[in-house]
Amino acid sequence: MSIEVKDLHFSYGKLKALDGVDLDLPQGAIGLLGPNGAGKSTLLRILLGFLVPDKGEGRILDYDIKHEQSSIRRFVGYMPEDDCFIPGMDAVSFTSYFGELSGMPRQEAMKRAHEVLFYVGLGESRYRNLETYSGGMKQRLKLAQAIVHDPKLIFLDEPTSSLDPQGRKEILELIIDISSKKDIQILISSHILPDIEAICSYVVILNKGKLAAQGDMDRLKQIDYKLYELRVKGESEGFVKKLRDKKSRIKETKDGVLKVYLPPDKNPQDIFAVAAEENIQIRHFVKSRTSLEDLFAKAVGVD
Amino acid sequence: MFIKEKGYAHWDGELKKKKFPWMPITRYGIKLAFRKKSFRFFFYGALAPSGIFLIGIYVSERLEDFRSMIGETSRFVNINPAYFRNFLASDFLLFFLVILLLLCGAGLISDDLKYNSIQLYFSRPLKKREYFFGKVSVIVFFLFLVTLVPGLILFIMKLVFAGDLKFFASYPWLPLSIIGYSFLVTAFFSFYGLFLSSLSKNSRYVAVLIFGIYFFSHIIFQIFDGIFKNPYFSLLSIRANLQQMGAFFFNQKAPHAVSWIYSLLVLSGICVLAGFVLKKKIRGVEVVK
Repeated sequence: MSIEVKDLHFSYGKLKALDGVDLDLPQGAIGLLGPNGAGKSTLLRILLGFLVPDKGEGRILDYDIKHEQSSIRRFVGYMPEDDCFIPGMDAVSFTSYFGELSGMPRQEAMKRAHEVLFYVGLGESRYRNLETYSGGMKQRLKLAQAIVHDPKLIFLDEPTSSLDPQGRKEILELIIDISSKKDIQILISSHILPDIEAICSYVVILNKGKLAAQGDMDRLKQIDYKLYELRVKGESEGFVKKLRDKKSRIKETKDGVLKVYLPPDKNPQDIFAVAAEENIQIRHFVKSRTSLEDLFAKAVGVD
Repeated sequence: MFIKEKGYAHWDGELKKKKFPWMPITRYGIKLAFRKKSFRFFFYGALAPSGIFLIGIYVSERLEDFRSMIGETSRFVNINPAYFRNFLASDFLLFFLVILLLLCGAGLISDDLKYNSIQLYFSRPLKKREYFFGKVSVIVFFLFLVTLVPGLILFIMKLVFAGDLKFFASYPWLPLSIIGYSFLVTAFFSFYGLFLSSLSKNSRYVAVLIFGIYFFSHIIFQIFDGIFKNPYFSLLSIRANLQQMGAFFFNQKAPHAVSWIYSLLVLSGICVLAGFVLKKKIRGVEVVK
Protein backbone atom coordinates (compact mmCIF):
# COMPACT_ATOMS: atom_id res chain seq x y z
CA MET A 1 0.00 0.00 0.00
CA SER A 2 1.54 3.33 -0.97
CA ILE A 3 -0.87 5.55 0.98
CA GLU A 4 -2.10 4.51 4.35
CA VAL A 5 -3.60 6.77 7.03
CA LYS A 6 -5.28 5.93 10.30
CA ASP A 7 -7.69 7.99 12.35
CA LEU A 8 -6.62 11.29 10.82
CA HIS A 9 -7.98 14.41 12.50
CA PHE A 10 -7.43 18.04 11.60
CA SER A 11 -9.26 21.21 12.62
CA TYR A 12 -9.12 24.83 11.50
CA GLY A 13 -9.90 26.34 14.89
CA LYS A 14 -13.32 24.97 15.83
CA LEU A 15 -14.06 23.71 12.33
CA LYS A 16 -13.30 20.03 11.90
CA ALA A 17 -11.81 19.52 8.44
CA LEU A 18 -10.93 15.84 8.90
CA ASP A 19 -12.60 13.66 11.46
CA GLY A 20 -11.11 10.22 11.87
CA VAL A 21 -10.27 9.38 8.27
CA ASP A 22 -8.85 5.91 7.58
CA LEU A 23 -7.43 5.13 4.16
CA ASP A 24 -5.61 2.20 2.71
CA LEU A 25 -5.03 2.91 -0.94
CA PRO A 26 -3.71 0.47 -3.52
CA GLN A 27 -1.48 1.17 -6.55
CA GLY A 28 -2.98 2.85 -9.62
CA ALA A 29 -5.08 5.93 -10.19
CA ILE A 30 -7.15 6.98 -7.22
CA GLY A 31 -9.92 9.56 -7.28
CA LEU A 32 -10.57 11.77 -4.30
CA LEU A 33 -14.12 13.08 -4.37
CA GLY A 34 -16.27 15.17 -2.14
CA PRO A 35 -18.36 18.31 -2.11
CA ASN A 36 -16.80 21.68 -1.24
CA GLY A 37 -15.54 21.66 2.33
CA ALA A 38 -15.39 17.86 2.48
CA GLY A 39 -11.71 17.92 3.45
CA LYS A 40 -10.09 16.88 0.13
CA SER A 41 -7.56 19.72 0.00
CA THR A 42 -6.80 19.37 3.70
CA LEU A 43 -6.11 15.67 3.19
CA LEU A 44 -3.77 16.42 0.27
CA ARG A 45 -1.98 19.09 2.31
CA ILE A 46 -1.48 16.69 5.19
CA LEU A 47 -0.19 13.98 2.88
CA LEU A 48 2.30 16.49 1.44
CA GLY A 49 3.36 17.66 4.88
CA PHE A 50 2.05 21.23 4.50
CA LEU A 51 -0.14 20.61 7.54
CA VAL A 52 0.50 18.45 10.58
CA PRO A 53 -2.52 16.38 11.67
CA ASP A 54 -3.93 17.02 15.15
CA LYS A 55 -4.26 13.30 15.65
CA GLY A 56 -3.67 10.14 13.70
CA GLU A 57 -0.85 8.68 11.71
CA GLY A 58 0.00 7.65 8.20
CA ARG A 59 2.59 6.46 5.76
CA ILE A 60 3.20 7.39 2.14
CA LEU A 61 5.56 5.24 0.07
CA ASP A 62 6.51 3.80 3.44
CA TYR A 63 7.57 7.18 4.90
CA ASP A 64 5.90 8.58 8.00
CA ILE A 65 3.73 11.63 7.23
CA LYS A 66 4.68 13.34 10.49
CA HIS A 67 8.42 12.74 10.66
CA GLU A 68 9.66 12.00 7.14
CA GLN A 69 8.04 14.78 5.15
CA SER A 70 11.23 15.63 3.25
CA SER A 71 11.59 12.07 2.00
CA ILE A 72 7.93 12.00 0.97
CA ARG A 73 8.29 15.22 -1.00
CA ARG A 74 11.40 13.95 -2.73
CA PHE A 75 9.46 11.08 -4.32
CA VAL A 76 6.10 12.75 -4.76
CA GLY A 77 4.97 15.22 -7.42
CA TYR A 78 2.35 17.87 -6.76
CA MET A 79 0.21 19.76 -9.23
CA PRO A 80 -1.69 22.45 -7.30
CA GLU A 81 -5.07 23.80 -8.27
CA ASP A 82 -4.06 27.47 -8.43
CA ASP A 83 -2.02 29.01 -11.20
CA CYS A 84 1.54 29.20 -9.97
CA PHE A 85 4.73 30.30 -11.68
CA ILE A 86 7.75 32.51 -11.19
CA PRO A 87 7.71 35.78 -13.11
CA GLY A 88 10.62 36.35 -15.45
CA MET A 89 11.29 32.65 -16.03
CA ASP A 90 10.73 30.55 -19.13
CA ALA A 91 9.28 27.04 -18.98
CA VAL A 92 12.66 25.27 -19.25
CA SER A 93 14.20 27.26 -16.41
CA PHE A 94 11.06 26.85 -14.31
CA THR A 95 10.82 23.10 -14.79
CA SER A 96 14.53 22.42 -14.32
CA TYR A 97 14.55 24.73 -11.27
CA PHE A 98 12.00 22.56 -9.50
CA GLY A 99 13.81 19.43 -10.68
CA GLU A 100 16.95 20.72 -8.99
CA LEU A 101 15.04 21.57 -5.83
CA SER A 102 13.79 17.97 -5.79
CA GLY A 103 17.37 16.73 -5.68
CA MET A 104 18.31 16.29 -9.34
CA PRO A 105 21.78 17.33 -10.52
CA ARG A 106 21.64 20.64 -12.40
CA GLN A 107 22.45 19.35 -15.88
CA GLU A 108 20.20 16.33 -15.52
CA ALA A 109 17.36 18.59 -14.41
CA MET A 110 17.83 20.77 -17.48
CA LYS A 111 17.88 17.78 -19.83
CA ARG A 112 14.85 16.27 -18.17
CA ALA A 113 12.98 19.61 -18.28
CA HIS A 114 13.21 19.61 -22.08
CA GLU A 115 11.90 16.04 -22.21
CA VAL A 116 8.89 16.57 -19.98
CA LEU A 117 7.99 19.85 -21.66
CA PHE A 118 7.86 18.04 -25.00
CA TYR A 119 5.81 15.32 -23.33
CA VAL A 120 3.17 17.73 -22.01
CA GLY A 121 3.03 19.57 -25.33
CA LEU A 122 4.99 22.71 -24.47
CA GLY A 123 8.05 21.80 -26.53
CA GLU A 124 7.65 24.63 -29.02
CA SER A 125 6.98 27.29 -26.43
CA ARG A 126 9.46 26.20 -23.79
CA TYR A 127 11.59 29.34 -24.10
CA ARG A 128 8.66 31.73 -23.83
CA ASN A 129 8.25 33.86 -20.72
CA LEU A 130 5.68 32.23 -18.43
CA GLU A 131 3.76 35.48 -18.05
CA THR A 132 2.67 35.11 -21.69
CA TYR A 133 1.26 31.58 -21.20
CA SER A 134 -2.47 30.88 -21.54
CA GLY A 135 -4.45 29.12 -18.80
CA GLY A 136 -4.16 25.75 -20.56
CA MET A 137 -0.40 26.13 -21.00
CA LYS A 138 0.04 26.98 -17.33
CA GLN A 139 -1.89 23.84 -16.48
CA ARG A 140 0.49 21.75 -18.60
CA LEU A 141 3.45 23.52 -17.06
CA LYS A 142 2.22 22.58 -13.58
CA LEU A 143 2.02 18.98 -14.73
CA ALA A 144 5.55 19.22 -16.17
CA GLN A 145 7.04 20.46 -12.90
CA ALA A 146 5.17 17.71 -11.04
CA ILE A 147 6.72 14.94 -13.15
CA VAL A 148 10.17 16.40 -13.86
CA HIS A 149 11.85 14.38 -11.09
CA ASP A 150 10.06 11.19 -12.12
CA PRO A 151 8.04 10.80 -8.91
CA LYS A 152 6.55 7.53 -7.76
CA LEU A 153 3.32 9.21 -6.74
CA ILE A 154 1.63 12.36 -8.06
CA PHE A 155 -1.00 14.43 -6.29
CA LEU A 156 -3.20 16.27 -8.76
CA ASP A 157 -5.50 18.91 -7.34
CA GLU A 158 -8.30 19.76 -9.78
CA PRO A 159 -6.09 19.25 -12.86
CA THR A 160 -8.80 20.03 -15.39
CA SER A 161 -10.54 22.94 -13.73
CA SER A 162 -10.69 26.13 -15.81
CA LEU A 163 -9.82 24.30 -19.04
CA ASP A 164 -11.76 24.34 -22.30
CA PRO A 165 -13.12 20.93 -23.48
CA GLN A 166 -10.19 20.28 -25.82
CA GLY A 167 -7.59 21.27 -23.19
CA ARG A 168 -9.38 19.10 -20.66
CA LYS A 169 -9.34 16.13 -23.02
CA GLU A 170 -5.61 16.53 -23.66
CA ILE A 171 -4.70 16.82 -19.99
CA LEU A 172 -6.83 13.75 -19.23
CA GLU A 173 -5.01 11.83 -21.97
CA LEU A 174 -1.69 12.74 -20.40
CA ILE A 175 -2.83 11.71 -16.94
CA ILE A 176 -4.23 8.42 -18.22
CA ASP A 177 -0.95 7.79 -20.06
CA ILE A 178 1.11 8.49 -16.95
CA SER A 179 -1.04 6.41 -14.63
CA SER A 180 -1.71 3.45 -16.87
CA LYS A 181 1.54 2.97 -18.75
CA LYS A 182 4.26 4.52 -16.65
CA ASP A 183 3.89 2.78 -13.31
CA ILE A 184 3.28 6.05 -11.49
CA GLN A 185 0.58 6.19 -8.89
CA ILE A 186 -1.85 9.10 -9.07
CA LEU A 187 -4.12 10.62 -6.45
CA ILE A 188 -6.46 13.01 -8.19
CA SER A 189 -8.79 15.36 -6.40
CA SER A 190 -11.57 16.68 -8.58
CA HIS A 191 -15.18 17.69 -8.51
CA ILE A 192 -15.61 16.76 -12.19
CA LEU A 193 -17.00 13.25 -11.85
CA PRO A 194 -16.56 12.17 -15.51
CA ASP A 195 -12.82 12.95 -15.17
CA ILE A 196 -12.51 10.66 -12.19
CA GLU A 197 -14.58 8.03 -13.96
CA ALA A 198 -12.28 8.23 -16.99
CA ILE A 199 -9.03 7.98 -15.07
CA CYS A 200 -9.49 6.15 -11.80
CA SER A 201 -10.00 2.56 -10.84
CA TYR A 202 -10.39 3.31 -7.14
CA VAL A 203 -12.28 6.14 -5.44
CA VAL A 204 -12.35 7.76 -2.04
CA ILE A 205 -15.34 9.92 -1.19
CA LEU A 206 -15.12 12.37 1.67
CA ASN A 207 -18.06 14.18 3.19
CA LYS A 208 -17.89 16.70 6.03
CA GLY A 209 -14.40 15.54 6.97
CA LYS A 210 -15.40 11.89 7.20
CA LEU A 211 -14.84 8.99 4.89
CA ALA A 212 -18.13 8.40 3.08
CA ALA A 213 -16.98 5.59 0.80
CA GLN A 214 -13.82 4.00 -0.58
CA GLY A 215 -13.17 1.08 -2.84
CA ASP A 216 -12.89 -0.16 -6.41
CA MET A 217 -14.95 1.97 -8.72
CA ASP A 218 -16.76 -1.00 -10.32
CA ARG A 219 -17.63 -2.58 -6.99
CA LEU A 220 -18.82 0.67 -5.45
CA LYS A 221 -20.98 1.46 -8.44
CA GLN A 222 -22.97 -1.71 -7.74
CA ILE A 223 -24.92 0.18 -5.16
CA ASP A 224 -28.00 -1.23 -3.54
CA TYR A 225 -30.40 0.07 -6.16
CA LYS A 226 -31.64 -1.09 -9.52
CA LEU A 227 -31.82 1.81 -11.92
CA TYR A 228 -34.51 2.11 -14.61
CA GLU A 229 -35.05 4.96 -17.02
CA LEU A 230 -38.58 5.62 -18.25
CA ARG A 231 -40.73 8.10 -20.09
CA VAL A 232 -44.37 8.38 -19.20
CA LYS A 233 -47.49 9.96 -20.64
CA GLY A 234 -50.01 11.52 -18.31
CA GLU A 235 -49.92 13.34 -14.98
CA SER A 236 -46.86 11.85 -13.27
CA GLU A 237 -47.12 13.53 -9.84
CA GLY A 238 -49.13 10.78 -8.17
CA PHE A 239 -47.06 8.11 -9.89
CA VAL A 240 -43.82 9.59 -8.56
CA LYS A 241 -45.31 10.01 -5.07
CA LYS A 242 -46.46 6.39 -4.91
CA LEU A 243 -43.05 5.11 -6.07
CA ARG A 244 -41.35 7.25 -3.40
CA ASP A 245 -43.72 5.75 -0.83
CA LYS A 246 -42.37 2.37 -1.91
CA LYS A 247 -38.82 3.53 -0.91
CA SER A 248 -37.69 4.26 -4.47
CA ARG A 249 -35.55 7.31 -5.36
CA ILE A 250 -36.77 9.27 -8.37
CA LYS A 251 -34.83 11.79 -10.37
CA GLU A 252 -36.29 13.64 -13.34
CA THR A 253 -33.83 14.79 -16.00
CA LYS A 254 -34.21 17.96 -18.05
CA ASP A 255 -35.33 15.99 -21.12
CA GLY A 256 -38.22 14.40 -19.24
CA VAL A 257 -36.66 11.03 -18.41
CA LEU A 258 -37.53 9.62 -15.01
CA LYS A 259 -34.66 7.78 -13.34
CA VAL A 260 -36.14 5.31 -10.87
CA TYR A 261 -33.82 3.72 -8.31
CA LEU A 262 -35.63 0.65 -7.01
CA PRO A 263 -34.67 -0.90 -3.68
CA PRO A 264 -33.32 -4.49 -4.00
CA ASP A 265 -36.49 -6.07 -2.61
CA LYS A 266 -38.67 -4.51 -5.31
CA ASN A 267 -38.95 -5.57 -8.94
CA PRO A 268 -39.84 -3.72 -12.17
CA GLN A 269 -43.37 -5.11 -12.19
CA ASP A 270 -44.06 -2.84 -9.21
CA ILE A 271 -43.42 0.17 -11.44
CA PHE A 272 -45.93 -1.04 -13.99
CA ALA A 273 -48.44 -1.80 -11.22
CA VAL A 274 -48.20 1.75 -9.87
CA ALA A 275 -48.48 3.15 -13.40
CA ALA A 276 -51.70 1.14 -13.94
CA GLU A 277 -53.09 2.39 -10.61
CA GLU A 278 -52.35 5.99 -11.56
CA ASN A 279 -53.55 5.58 -15.15
CA ILE A 280 -50.15 6.42 -16.58
CA GLN A 281 -48.76 5.10 -19.86
CA ILE A 282 -45.15 3.97 -19.85
CA ARG A 283 -43.74 4.83 -23.26
CA HIS A 284 -40.11 3.98 -22.69
CA PHE A 285 -38.53 1.60 -20.18
CA VAL A 286 -34.87 0.54 -20.00
CA LYS A 287 -32.67 -0.87 -17.31
CA SER A 288 -29.72 1.46 -16.84
CA ARG A 289 -26.31 1.31 -15.17
CA THR A 290 -25.59 3.30 -12.03
CA SER A 291 -22.88 5.90 -12.51
CA LEU A 292 -20.26 7.51 -10.34
CA GLU A 293 -22.69 10.37 -9.99
CA ASP A 294 -25.18 8.01 -8.38
CA LEU A 295 -22.54 6.65 -6.08
CA PHE A 296 -21.44 10.16 -5.16
CA ALA A 297 -25.02 11.27 -4.51
CA LYS A 298 -25.64 8.24 -2.33
CA ALA A 299 -22.37 8.65 -0.42
CA VAL A 300 -22.79 12.32 0.39
CA GLY A 301 -26.53 12.01 0.92
CA VAL A 302 -27.90 14.27 -1.82
CA ASP A 303 -30.25 13.57 -4.74
CA MET B 1 -1.21 22.23 -30.04
CA PHE B 2 0.17 18.72 -30.12
CA ILE B 3 0.69 16.63 -27.11
CA LYS B 4 2.96 13.69 -26.51
CA GLU B 5 5.43 14.85 -29.15
CA LYS B 6 7.77 12.53 -27.28
CA GLY B 7 6.74 9.77 -24.91
CA TYR B 8 7.26 9.88 -21.19
CA ALA B 9 10.38 8.08 -20.08
CA HIS B 10 11.51 7.32 -16.58
CA TRP B 11 14.60 9.13 -15.33
CA ASP B 12 17.28 6.67 -14.38
CA GLY B 13 19.19 8.95 -12.00
CA GLU B 14 18.98 9.12 -8.24
CA LEU B 15 17.37 11.94 -6.28
CA LYS B 16 19.92 12.98 -3.69
CA LYS B 17 19.84 15.01 -0.53
CA LYS B 18 22.02 18.03 -1.33
CA LYS B 19 24.34 19.79 1.09
CA PHE B 20 22.97 23.19 0.09
CA PRO B 21 19.47 22.49 -1.24
CA TRP B 22 18.74 26.24 -1.29
CA MET B 23 21.50 26.98 -3.79
CA PRO B 24 19.22 26.97 -6.91
CA ILE B 25 17.00 29.59 -5.25
CA THR B 26 19.98 31.88 -4.72
CA ARG B 27 21.37 31.28 -8.18
CA TYR B 28 18.09 32.10 -9.91
CA GLY B 29 17.52 35.08 -7.62
CA ILE B 30 20.89 36.55 -8.61
CA LYS B 31 20.27 35.78 -12.28
CA LEU B 32 16.83 37.39 -12.25
CA ALA B 33 18.16 40.52 -10.48
CA PHE B 34 20.95 40.96 -13.02
CA ARG B 35 18.42 40.82 -15.86
CA LYS B 36 17.02 44.16 -14.72
CA LYS B 37 18.72 47.14 -16.35
CA SER B 38 17.93 49.40 -13.40
CA PHE B 39 19.52 46.92 -11.02
CA ARG B 40 22.72 46.72 -13.06
CA PHE B 41 22.88 50.52 -13.17
CA PHE B 42 22.61 50.91 -9.39
CA PHE B 43 24.84 47.92 -8.70
CA TYR B 44 27.71 49.45 -10.67
CA GLY B 45 26.82 52.82 -9.12
CA ALA B 46 27.22 51.27 -5.67
CA LEU B 47 30.71 50.16 -6.64
CA ALA B 48 31.70 53.72 -7.59
CA PRO B 49 32.60 54.80 -4.00
CA SER B 50 35.05 51.93 -3.69
CA GLY B 51 36.82 53.17 -6.84
CA ILE B 52 37.02 56.68 -5.44
CA PHE B 53 38.30 55.46 -2.08
CA LEU B 54 40.85 53.28 -3.86
CA ILE B 55 42.15 56.35 -5.69
CA GLY B 56 42.32 58.08 -2.31
CA ILE B 57 44.50 55.28 -0.93
CA TYR B 58 46.75 55.44 -3.97
CA VAL B 59 47.08 59.22 -3.67
CA SER B 60 47.85 58.91 0.07
CA GLU B 61 50.86 56.79 -0.78
CA ARG B 62 52.01 59.20 -3.52
CA LEU B 63 51.29 62.47 -1.72
CA GLU B 64 54.41 64.17 -2.99
CA ASP B 65 53.45 63.42 -6.60
CA PHE B 66 49.95 64.78 -6.14
CA ARG B 67 50.70 67.69 -3.76
CA SER B 68 50.26 70.26 -6.50
CA MET B 69 46.90 68.80 -7.46
CA ILE B 70 45.29 68.27 -4.08
CA GLY B 71 46.94 71.04 -2.02
CA GLU B 72 45.32 71.51 1.39
CA THR B 73 42.80 68.73 0.85
CA SER B 74 45.51 66.17 1.56
CA ARG B 75 44.04 65.76 5.06
CA PHE B 76 41.14 63.95 3.41
CA VAL B 77 43.44 61.22 2.24
CA ASN B 78 44.77 60.40 5.65
CA ILE B 79 44.23 56.64 5.70
CA ASN B 80 43.05 55.44 9.09
CA PRO B 81 40.00 53.57 10.49
CA ALA B 82 37.90 56.73 10.00
CA TYR B 83 38.63 56.50 6.27
CA PHE B 84 37.14 52.99 6.20
CA ARG B 85 34.21 54.10 8.35
CA ASN B 86 33.60 56.96 5.92
CA PHE B 87 33.53 54.44 3.11
CA LEU B 88 31.27 51.80 4.68
CA ALA B 89 28.93 53.98 6.75
CA SER B 90 28.58 56.90 4.36
CA ASP B 91 25.13 58.27 3.48
CA PHE B 92 25.94 57.61 -0.16
CA LEU B 93 26.76 53.92 0.22
CA LEU B 94 23.83 53.29 2.57
CA PHE B 95 21.54 54.97 0.04
CA PHE B 96 22.80 52.66 -2.70
CA LEU B 97 22.39 49.64 -0.44
CA VAL B 98 18.73 50.54 0.06
CA ILE B 99 18.23 50.97 -3.68
CA LEU B 100 19.91 47.61 -4.37
CA LEU B 101 17.78 46.04 -1.67
CA LEU B 102 14.53 47.28 -3.14
CA LEU B 103 15.55 46.21 -6.65
CA CYS B 104 16.76 42.72 -5.78
CA GLY B 105 14.85 41.99 -2.58
CA ALA B 106 11.36 43.48 -2.87
CA GLY B 107 9.98 40.64 -4.99
CA LEU B 108 11.86 37.77 -3.35
CA ILE B 109 8.96 36.60 -1.21
CA SER B 110 6.14 38.88 -2.36
CA ASP B 111 6.29 37.47 -5.92
CA ASP B 112 6.10 33.93 -4.57
CA LEU B 113 3.03 34.94 -2.59
CA LYS B 114 1.47 36.73 -5.55
CA TYR B 115 2.04 33.93 -8.06
CA ASN B 116 1.35 31.09 -5.57
CA SER B 117 4.75 29.54 -6.20
CA ILE B 118 5.53 29.17 -2.50
CA GLN B 119 3.51 25.93 -2.43
CA LEU B 120 5.67 24.54 -5.23
CA TYR B 121 8.80 25.18 -3.15
CA PHE B 122 7.34 23.39 -0.16
CA SER B 123 6.14 20.47 -2.24
CA ARG B 124 9.88 19.82 -2.68
CA PRO B 125 12.15 18.41 0.03
CA LEU B 126 12.85 21.94 1.21
CA LYS B 127 12.60 23.13 4.78
CA LYS B 128 11.41 26.57 5.78
CA ARG B 129 14.90 27.65 6.82
CA GLU B 130 16.35 26.42 3.52
CA TYR B 131 13.86 28.51 1.58
CA PHE B 132 14.83 31.46 3.79
CA PHE B 133 18.57 30.82 3.24
CA GLY B 134 18.00 30.68 -0.52
CA LYS B 135 16.21 34.02 -0.54
CA VAL B 136 18.42 35.80 1.97
CA SER B 137 21.58 34.69 0.17
CA VAL B 138 20.53 36.73 -2.87
CA ILE B 139 20.59 39.92 -0.78
CA VAL B 140 23.73 38.85 1.10
CA PHE B 141 25.53 38.18 -2.19
CA PHE B 142 24.91 41.66 -3.58
CA LEU B 143 25.44 43.56 -0.35
CA PHE B 144 28.72 41.78 0.38
CA LEU B 145 29.86 42.63 -3.13
CA VAL B 146 29.50 46.34 -2.40
CA THR B 147 30.55 46.38 1.27
CA LEU B 148 32.70 43.50 2.50
CA VAL B 149 34.56 42.74 -0.71
CA PRO B 150 35.58 46.33 -1.58
CA GLY B 151 36.28 47.04 2.12
CA LEU B 152 38.78 44.19 2.32
CA ILE B 153 40.23 45.03 -1.10
CA LEU B 154 40.81 48.63 0.02
CA PHE B 155 42.64 47.37 3.11
CA ILE B 156 44.80 45.01 1.06
CA MET B 157 45.51 47.71 -1.54
CA LYS B 158 46.63 50.04 1.23
CA LEU B 159 49.23 47.44 2.23
CA VAL B 160 50.19 46.82 -1.41
CA PHE B 161 50.62 50.52 -2.21
CA ALA B 162 52.52 51.09 1.03
CA GLY B 163 54.79 48.13 0.35
CA ASP B 164 54.99 47.25 4.03
CA LEU B 165 52.82 46.06 6.93
CA LYS B 166 53.04 49.19 9.10
CA PHE B 167 49.38 50.01 8.54
CA PHE B 168 48.36 46.51 9.56
CA ALA B 169 50.64 46.69 12.61
CA SER B 170 49.00 49.99 13.62
CA TYR B 171 45.42 48.73 13.17
CA PRO B 172 45.47 44.92 13.33
CA TRP B 173 41.78 44.89 14.26
CA LEU B 174 40.71 46.86 11.18
CA PRO B 175 40.00 43.81 8.91
CA LEU B 176 37.76 42.44 11.66
CA SER B 177 35.97 45.79 11.87
CA ILE B 178 35.38 45.75 8.12
CA ILE B 179 34.07 42.19 8.29
CA GLY B 180 31.98 42.85 11.41
CA TYR B 181 30.37 46.04 10.14
CA SER B 182 29.69 44.54 6.69
CA PHE B 183 28.03 41.57 8.37
CA LEU B 184 25.92 43.82 10.56
CA VAL B 185 24.73 46.03 7.69
CA THR B 186 24.09 43.05 5.43
CA ALA B 187 22.28 41.06 8.12
CA PHE B 188 20.10 44.02 9.01
CA PHE B 189 19.17 44.87 5.43
CA SER B 190 18.55 41.18 4.64
CA PHE B 191 16.04 40.80 7.46
CA TYR B 192 14.56 44.22 6.77
CA GLY B 193 14.09 43.48 3.05
CA LEU B 194 12.67 39.98 3.44
CA PHE B 195 10.41 41.07 6.29
CA LEU B 196 8.81 43.77 4.14
CA SER B 197 8.74 41.46 1.12
CA SER B 198 6.70 38.94 3.09
CA LEU B 199 4.08 41.54 4.06
CA SER B 200 2.58 42.16 0.65
CA LYS B 201 1.86 40.37 -2.62
CA ASN B 202 2.75 43.54 -4.52
CA SER B 203 6.50 43.96 -4.97
CA ARG B 204 6.12 47.63 -5.98
CA TYR B 205 4.39 48.35 -2.73
CA VAL B 206 7.20 46.51 -0.92
CA ALA B 207 9.81 48.59 -2.77
CA VAL B 208 8.04 51.77 -1.65
CA LEU B 209 8.02 50.47 1.93
CA ILE B 210 11.74 49.60 1.86
CA PHE B 211 12.62 53.05 0.59
CA GLY B 212 9.99 54.95 2.58
CA ILE B 213 10.67 53.47 6.00
CA TYR B 214 14.43 53.99 5.61
CA PHE B 215 14.10 57.65 4.65
CA PHE B 216 11.07 58.66 6.70
CA SER B 217 12.60 57.19 9.86
CA HIS B 218 15.50 59.59 9.34
CA ILE B 219 13.26 62.54 8.55
CA ILE B 220 11.23 61.90 11.70
CA PHE B 221 14.45 61.78 13.71
CA GLN B 222 15.56 65.12 12.23
CA ILE B 223 12.19 66.73 12.98
CA PHE B 224 12.17 65.55 16.61
CA ASP B 225 15.85 66.38 17.03
CA GLY B 226 15.19 69.87 15.68
CA ILE B 227 12.34 70.42 18.14
CA PHE B 228 13.58 68.68 21.27
CA LYS B 229 17.37 68.65 20.72
CA ASN B 230 17.50 65.20 22.22
CA PRO B 231 20.06 62.78 20.67
CA TYR B 232 18.02 59.76 21.74
CA PHE B 233 15.66 60.48 18.86
CA SER B 234 18.45 59.20 16.62
CA LEU B 235 17.29 55.73 17.67
CA LEU B 236 14.22 56.29 15.46
CA SER B 237 16.39 56.48 12.36
CA ILE B 238 17.67 53.36 10.62
CA ARG B 239 20.46 55.34 8.98
CA ALA B 240 21.54 56.98 12.26
CA ASN B 241 21.59 53.62 14.05
CA LEU B 242 23.73 52.07 11.32
CA GLN B 243 26.13 55.03 11.47
CA GLN B 244 26.29 54.79 15.27
CA MET B 245 27.30 51.16 14.87
CA GLY B 246 29.82 52.15 12.20
CA ALA B 247 31.46 54.54 14.66
CA PHE B 248 31.62 51.73 17.23
CA PHE B 249 33.12 49.16 14.86
CA PHE B 250 35.81 51.56 13.61
CA ASN B 251 36.55 52.97 17.06
CA GLN B 252 35.43 56.49 16.14
CA LYS B 253 33.48 59.16 17.95
CA ALA B 254 29.75 58.44 17.57
CA PRO B 255 27.80 61.00 15.48
CA HIS B 256 25.11 61.15 18.18
CA ALA B 257 25.60 61.22 21.94
CA VAL B 258 23.89 57.88 22.48
CA SER B 259 25.46 54.57 23.42
CA TRP B 260 25.97 52.17 20.51
CA ILE B 261 24.29 49.48 22.61
CA TYR B 262 20.92 51.19 22.14
CA SER B 263 21.44 51.28 18.40
CA LEU B 264 22.39 47.62 18.43
CA LEU B 265 19.25 46.85 20.42
CA VAL B 266 17.06 48.76 17.96
CA LEU B 267 18.59 47.03 14.92
CA SER B 268 18.47 43.63 16.64
CA GLY B 269 14.86 44.24 17.65
CA ILE B 270 13.90 44.90 14.03
CA CYS B 271 15.70 41.70 12.98
CA VAL B 272 13.97 39.64 15.69
CA LEU B 273 10.57 41.04 14.68
CA ALA B 274 11.41 40.29 11.04
CA GLY B 275 12.41 36.71 11.93
CA PHE B 276 9.19 36.20 13.85
CA VAL B 277 7.01 37.51 11.00
CA LEU B 278 8.95 35.52 8.39
CA LYS B 279 8.47 32.35 10.40
CA LYS B 280 4.73 32.96 10.35
CA LYS B 281 4.49 34.04 6.71
CA ILE B 282 6.70 31.44 5.03
CA ARG B 283 4.53 28.35 4.72
CA GLY B 284 3.25 26.04 2.03
CA VAL B 285 -0.38 26.97 2.58
CA GLU B 286 -2.27 29.76 4.29
CA VAL B 287 -3.88 28.34 7.41
CA VAL B 288 -6.45 30.41 9.26
CA LYS B 289 -7.20 28.81 12.61
